[in-house]
Amino acid sequence: MKRLFAQFAVALSAALFSFAVLAQQSTGPTLPPGELAKQQQQRTIDQPYNNQPVWSNARGATSGYTSIPGPETGVLIQDGGQTWRALKNGTVSVWGGWAIVAMMLLVGGFYAWKGTIQLKESPTGRMIERFTLMERMAHWSTAISFSILAISGLILAFGKNLLIPMFGFTVFSWLATIAKTLHNFIGPLFIVSCVITFVVFLRDNWPKAVDFKWIFSFGGLISGKHVPSERFNAGEKVWFWGGLMVLGIIVGASGLVLNFPNFGQTRATMQLANLIHLGGSILFMVGALGHIYMGTLGMAGAFQAMKTGKVDEAWAKEHHEIWYDDIKAGKIPAVRTKQIGAAQPVGGDD
Amino acid sequence: MARMKFICDAERCIECNGCVTACKNEHDVPWGVNRRRVVTLNDGIVGAERSISVACMHCSDAPCKAVCPVNCFYTTDDGVVLHDKDLCIGCGYCFYACPFGAPQFPQAGAFGLRGKMDKCTFCAGGPEKDNTKGEIEKYGRNRLAEGKLPACAEMCSTKALLAGDGDVLSDIYRERVMRRGRGGDLWGHATAYGVKAATSQQPAPTQQKS
Repeated sequence: MKRLFAQFAVALSAALFSFAVLAQQSTGPTLPPGELAKQQQQRTIDQPYNNQPVWSNARGATSGYTSIPGPETGVLIQDGGQTWRALKNGTVSVWGGWAIVAMMLLVGGFYAWKGTIQLKESPTGRMIERFTLMERMAHWSTAISFSILAISGLILAFGKNLLIPMFGFTVFSWLATIAKTLHNFIGPLFIVSCVITFVVFLRDNWPKAVDFKWIFSFGGLISGKHVPSERFNAGEKVWFWGGLMVLGIIVGASGLVLNFPNFGQTRATMQLANLIHLGGSILFMVGALGHIYMGTLGMAGAFQAMKTGKVDEAWAKEHHEIWYDDIKAGKIPAVRTKQIGAAQPVGGDD
Repeated sequence: MARMKFICDAERCIECNGCVTACKNEHDVPWGVNRRRVVTLNDGIVGAERSISVACMHCSDAPCKAVCPVNCFYTTDDGVVLHDKDLCIGCGYCFYACPFGAPQFPQAGAFGLRGKMDKCTFCAGGPEKDNTKGEIEKYGRNRLAEGKLPACAEMCSTKALLAGDGDVLSDIYRERVMRRGRGGDLWGHATAYGVKAATSQQPAPTQQKS
């Protein structure tokens, strides 16, 4: 998974880099507009009706005069659109689409190989509170909004090729209208959810030395060897920093640029934002497939933890030993939610 | 079959915006939507100023069509690029892709929420039956169906803007270039026809109006 991730990241950055290079090459004349105007003045005398210097200036972001109000109305020809079209319909969609398919196959293959990872010891019946109500609400609002955005985004990006042949133009247009509306309105909610989730989980996601051990053995996921970890293991921390924070910022910021076109941003800005949004969200979806797999099918007890907030002591010991030891030593309370009306903490030390 | 084209002769365009007004009037386009606009390059610089009227150029390989997520664009037998507003979702992709800034969006809500795209139809309406109420409300008049050419070109006072069958237009333009007595030194002419473009020593023709 990591290698695929790396390869895809390289391909994506190469695509973005080539976009930057192409955009540089394609914008505007080699001479400054003032120089071309002077050339045209001379050309009008030497060779009347020869307007070559004017038309050399017509491409790119050089703005002429127009009486029509609005952003960029004075631009006669913008040729960034061609580059955007080529990358969006070509490189990004092809690589991105197959990256998602590859990740699905990888996850499916892993499930076929390992199945659901069961607890080795039998459950004790004593429960530890892993997630408070606040933490679960933050997680699920992020998760639900992410899923809506991912599905609607996929409909808008690939529906033209995959769904129109199935449903026809009219039905797909309705579907796309719903997808676009959901995408535009859920987007800002997702950003808010991400920020809340970030704040809520920040403290326990701080990287520690022990995380490197986990990373180098990939959490014992393949070898089956036990690697101790804190409340969140290094994999979860990578998802927290790389997914929630880095991709959240990349996809969120580029999404806002596209969602609110009323601030006079130019087409070049929106083309770049769209490519970054596509690339970032594909990485996000690839990561999320891994995260969702581990949280549901991949690991027994994981989904229960985020649903009810509680895990068995045996589960805690097996998957997050350092955290479990800290709870046993009384450094972390086993139940962090304040019990209303209870005389003393329930399920504490026993 | 005719292949419909626009051509704007920059030697004739006087930036009167008659084409813009004709278009707005003919199709009753809403405020903020401009299917056609006139751009002046090197504005105010004597001898270097040129104006040109620009709208949808009805491309053969239309970028708007290529990027539309709902495939609402289609090209007619006349080579006119039209779109179906019933399918359009107002995503703005065609606007990112178009080199000429042709696609326009009426604002449909707060924060620049886009309504259904509107653009030059070459006065050929949309997918509805010709000049029905639905077609006129969504796309404006269908002059092509009435045997007329686009209103902008018909209205052009200097006949700078021409619209119609590409073969006819190129004949008209070729004749103009010949009457001007220049053409051998047009940019790219030497590349295209292998003729040396060194006619600048000759005196510029005077009193040869086209």
